[in-house]
Amino acid sequence: MATPIIMPRQGQTVESCIITKWHKKKGDRVKIGDLLFSYETDKAAFDEEAKAEGTLLEIFFDEGDDVPVLATVCVIGQEGEDISPFLPEGKETPVAEDAVIEGQQQLAAEGETEIESSAVVQEDDRVRISPRARNLAEKAGVDYRQATPTGPNGRIIERDIRQLMEKGQLVTPAAREEYMSTGVMRVGGTGIGGRVTTTDLSGIKAEAQYQVPQPPVQGIKVEQADYEEVKLSNIRKVIARAMHESLANTAQLTIHISFDATEILAFRKKVKEQGERLGLANITLNDIILYVVSRTLLNHKALNAHLLDDRMLLYNHVHLGVAVDTERGLMVPTIYNADTMSLDEISRKAKELVEACRKGSINPDYLKGGTFTVTNLGSLGVEAFTPILNPPQTGILGVNTIVQRVKELDGRIVTYPAMGMSLTFDHRAVDGAPAARFLQELKANLESFSIFLAK
Amino acid sequence: MVYDLIVIGGGPAGYLGAERAGHAGLKTLLIEERFLGGVCLNEGCIPSKTLLHSAKLYDYARFGGKYGITASDVRLDHGTVLARKNKVVKTLVAGIRSQLKASHVDVVEGHACIGTRTVEGYTVKVGDDTFVGRRLLIATGSVPVIPPILGAKEGLERGYVLTNREILNIPQVPGSLVIVGGGVIGLEMASYFNSAGSKVTVIEMLDHIGGSIDGEISQILLKNYQKKGIVFKLSSRVVEIRDGAVVYECEGKREVLEADKVLMSVGRRPATHGLGLENIGVEVERGAVKANDSGKTNVPEVYAAGDVNGCSMLAHTAYREAEVCVNNMLGKRDMVRYNAIPSVIYTNPEVASVGETEESAKRKGIEFEVAKVSMRYSGRYVAETEGGDGICKVLINKRYRNVIGVHMIGSYSSEIIYGAGLMIEAEMRVKDIKELVFPHPTVSEVIRECIFQFDD
Repeated sequence: MATPIIMPRQGQTVESCIITKWHKKKGDRVKIGDLLFSYETDKAAFDEEAKAEGTLLEIFFDEGDDVPVLATVCVIGQEGEDISPFLPEGKETPVAEDAVIEGQQQLAAEGETEIESSAVVQEDDRVRISPRARNLAEKAGVDYRQATPTGPNGRIIERDIRQLMEKGQLVTPAAREEYMSTGVMRVGGTGIGGRVTTTDLSGIKAEAQYQVPQPPVQGIKVEQADYEEVKLSNIRKVIARAMHESLANTAQLTIHISFDATEILAFRKKVKEQGERLGLANITLNDIILYVVSRTLLNHKALNAHLLDDRMLLYNHVHLGVAVDTERGLMVPTIYNADTMSLDEISRKAKELVEACRKGSINPDYLKGGTFTVTNLGSLGVEAFTPILNPPQTGILGVNTIVQRVKELDGRIVTYPAMGMSLTFDHRAVDGAPAARFLQELKANLESFSIFLAK
Repeated sequence: MVYDLIVIGGGPAGYLGAERAGHAGLKTLLIEERFLGGVCLNEGCIPSKTLLHSAKLYDYARFGGKYGITASDVRLDHGTVLARKNKVVKTLVAGIRSQLKASHVDVVEGHACIGTRTVEGYTVKVGDDTFVGRRLLIATGSVPVIPPILGAKEGLERGYVLTNREILNIPQVPGSLVIVGGGVIGLEMASYFNSAGSKVTVIEMLDHIGGSIDGEISQILLKNYQKKGIVFKLSSRVVEIRDGAVVYECEGKREVLEADKVLMSVGRRPATHGLGLENIGVEVERGAVKANDSGKTNVPEVYAAGDVNGCSMLAHTAYREAEVCVNNMLGKRDMVRYNAIPSVIYTNPEVASVGETEESAKRKGIEFEVAKVSMRYSGRYVAETEGGDGICKVLINKRYRNVIGVHMIGSYSSEIIYGAGLMIEAEMRVKDIKELVFPHPTVSEVIRECIFQFDD
């Protein structure tokens, strides 16, 4: 009896996952526990192991495909077994998904399905275009590289060319072949209606060959530079997009403060000495800061908030995001209701979440819902930085390292350990003074931590 | 009141530019010194076509025997021809006037002189009136060149030497006519006056007629003319014009040719004198206003179109140049392409060409292939033309295999050539044109025949 392998649902809100890697090929023998494929949500990465033994009879989705959760990804069974009962919805034949979709959008051209498999797996730097669209583009004399692909998997299909014919760059028949081979996209030629003509070609070719003359860098030519090309992981892409969107769409700025860490260092020392005896977790300086932040924030609700288009959600509890550095990239799990948890509980929860993130087993539901974020580069010796907001949150606190500073005490110059904090906030939501007041209170609470704990 | 645009000159460039500008909502003033319509309409293209049509009808009547038509007592009444010509011109000029009115263009008659540039725009004086325009379109056209030949100026004053202006109004057909210059104007006038009964001699400095037309076609045209009785003195230079005779040099020998009238048609030069161009610093190069392919001169908001820029000196080029100027004024980027401007000699047979000739392509170093077919490939041509020797020649770019030149001599060539121009403009390749359908039976099919001589 063949066994379908479905895309697991990773958390209640995850609708689909992207297959990042296949570890087995169709036809491979698999044993229970073998790695079948890796997949990612927009926040976390996972591995799927085989839960049945047999032959990998069919694979329905390729690497890079976005697969709805609970859809059948592949089938394991004995050779010769019928896999048709497991075909995912909308799939009539295993490999021709695109052809089916396209067939509905346009008259299926002969040979359409034939090239399908090869066209889809083409390298990213090649233009994906259906033969029908390519023919039309050539007939019409438009530069299909300028088309906006609306076909499956970013392919250019006929309607994209029709769209382009109305507004895109036209090329005369004589100039077409050479123009397309130049690799340069020109806007505006000298021919009728701005067509690119044969006369324009020499200029375009010159443009293509033009290189900014650069002085030799210590005798090393740029072409000889040694580098390794790395494809971006989905998590990297998600991070890139989120970071850029944050900077592009908010009015964020960062203010810095430092506090006398004498008390928390003393507290930390005591925990180290006696924590085990009391059954306490290994409470770190960061845990202490998480704890104080979770308490202090409730007096500054504009920073424990989500800023939406025309309103703000001021939360009554603090759901604290904790930035975690993992091999895959930055992840931010959330400690829900941190304000109701004891320092020990916060410490344990934080450790548990960090561990899950690093192992890649974090439930995606933990990767959202934060109302404020704490990120710590202090452990790496950073003295100040400008954390990037995680919208719609309105604040993020960067924790810096401890440096020895001097201060005057009873007419004498003494040194003290100063720990820095960098608060980035969205000026659309919070003004400078209220943000500074939050830092001020945070500083006061941390400097008198032993009393604050009693609260 | 400040105009958005002042157009100086009411010829093809001027009136069309004014019309387009007015239509687009620019407050436009047009200043014309002589007649609306310019040389083209009053002393050039249109009147000569009227005359040539009469000559063609006359020839058909006289030489219709081989088509089974005989007529006796056929006469060409030059007076009536002229009267009809004047009527045609009047009709068309009136048409232009009403078009300008419909486009809300103000028209002022008089000589325009550009004054200065002020904050509001450029001032232009016409008599005692001063107008101000934010933009200027210089479209003053061209005037015939009178070469520094001994006696030419005096002959002109005396009425013995004529230009295109005078000859189109000459009341009597001269018994003998010497035409200096075998270009388009000279050949068309030779054709008419030969039909009308003059003894016509054409003196041409070059060794061929028709200026830059295809060499082979020039030869065919020459033979056709000679058959009609027109005499050609090629490679000959006129050195003196006396009273009643023209002295020319050929291969070092001086010859004297008696003539009742002399037509001076050695070329035209841009009309830039007395315009006040220097007052605002418009750059003039070799007598022509220097304009780029967008029609812009070196002075901001001062444009030039038509013969005055010395580029092509054809009415249809002027149309396009004027439109390009107006488009650029309106902020629409546009430029004139000179590689596909058709040119036609409206003689019988008609000569039409567009794009590169074999001669020009060689000169430019373009690698090309050429195909040539006889017009007799066209059923229509054979049916209508006894003993016709017309040809059609097509040049393609060897590398891109697109059409770069079409040259034809034979009936209807003038009406066919625009299609060839289109092929060149669109850079259609041989294989593209092979997909086109030509109406049958028409003379235009010879282009198709020519195209099928090429490999794709």
